Amino acid sequence: MNWVIAIIKVVFIWTWCLLWATVMTWAERRGSAMIQDRLGPNRAGPFGLFQPIADGIKLFTKEEFRPKTARKILFNLGPILFAIPAFSAYAVIPFGDKIVIGGKEILLQVADVNIGFLYVLAIGALAVYGIVVGGWGSNNKYSILGGLRSTAQLISYEVPWGLALLAAVFVYGTFDLRQIALEQTGTFLGFLPNWGVFKQPLGFLIFTVAAYAEANRVPFDLPEAESEIVAGYHTEYGGMRLGLYLFGEYVNLYTLSALCVTLYFGAWNLPYIDMSKFLGPISYGIASFVVFWLKVMVFLLSFIWVRWTVPRFRYDQVMRLGWKTLIPLALFNLLITALFIQLTV
Amino acid sequence: MMSGFECIALYLAMSVIAVLGMYIISVLLGPLRPKPNKQTPYECGVPLLDPSNKRYDVKYYVVGVLFLVFDLETVLIYPLASRFKEFAHYGWGAFFEVFIFVAILIAGLIYAIARGAIEWD
Repeated sequence: MNWVIAIIKVVFIWTWCLLWATVMTWAERRGSAMIQDRLGPNRAGPFGLFQPIADGIKLFTKEEFRPKTARKILFNLGPILFAIPAFSAYAVIPFGDKIVIGGKEILLQVADVNIGFLYVLAIGALAVYGIVVGGWGSNNKYSILGGLRSTAQLISYEVPWGLALLAAVFVYGTFDLRQIALEQTGTFLGFLPNWGVFKQPLGFLIFTVAAYAEANRVPFDLPEAESEIVAGYHTEYGGMRLGLYLFGEYVNLYTLSALCVTLYFGAWNLPYIDMSKFLGPISYGIASFVVFWLKVMVFLLSFIWVRWTVPRFRYDQVMRLGWKTLIPLALFNLLITALFIQLTV
Repeated sequence: MMSGFECIALYLAMSVIAVLGMYIISVLLGPLRPKPNKQTPYECGVPLLDPSNKRYDVKYYVVGVLFLVFDLETVLIYPLASRFKEFAHYGWGAFFEVFIFVAILIAGLIYAIARGAIEWD
């Protein structure tokens, strides 16, 4: 019975992430059209909602060609190495509190482990390999440059990202993401919701900026700056190989947004209202799931909004921001957090 | 009750199977009509200008080395971070430990910046 529940949870949340990643491709195109006063894809189905399905079919039936000069094994391996960590990172992040069905309590989380935090960090860092292997394997100067830039950018922003998360660990005192979510109930200082963002405002800011860089999103989409290096590391890719890179990126966005909600925005907790008090066990489970999902959607939409609002940084600006601004700020945040905890215990 | 790590293994297996499945289905479904022109490396609409095996800036390597140092230092603070609240009860020892780690990081950062490791032109 436990196995059945575990398999249902794994399959459900895996497809759920992929589903919203696919919807995001549609939302991004419609959102950009709205911001730029165009129509966007509106032919396939109502509001063009079936556009992702059409895109998927197109990607599946495209020719998988490979340039003669490419390094065969690495070229094929790149997208797989990128997609597997991106699709797997969600395993430890909760997607709701718990639901009680037939007297059996089911946690709305695939794996409740006490080092969940480290798992997300470790798996998230693996995506760099997919990019650098794909770029190198293509054996094209644009691809290799894109891969190099991307690697330098990802590892540069991983340091402030890790330091911002470290400050959050200081506050919560645990690596267990469910525990972190549970600690964000009630109020802080008497009137604010007890959310991480109010205890770690600077940490949240650093986390967000670094998350945009980690996800290769505008204004940090240097690896694929089309005016300089064509499409960066996936210049030579087409068909489903390209599709794996793109889907992997959108699933990454979902995971990053969910991590942000779990750490800084109270996970499934509503401010000032304790849902478990007046909802039945089943409806509470569903409500917590919906609340968590809506918060994630807000972050996903903000990714689109930012993409079509701000211009791209130059490469030296990206590096300067990462090393000379974010890392000192993150270290400062760490010291202040530690000092604050030391003074208040 | 299943332990969490079995569920993680299941989730990883799901990812591997799905990704390989998508890959194989796409290889099977797509046509394969190789042509000499199609298989040349991409260049912006002109014949290939120069090959890919050129020399690259050593800065990328420097950033990689810097990352290793900084990330390792960060990882060393992690175990302390999760128990910091308990240690804080016993006085300022744990705080000074964190302070020393951060001070080393800041000193290293200042040195790297002063030597121009992060200057891109």
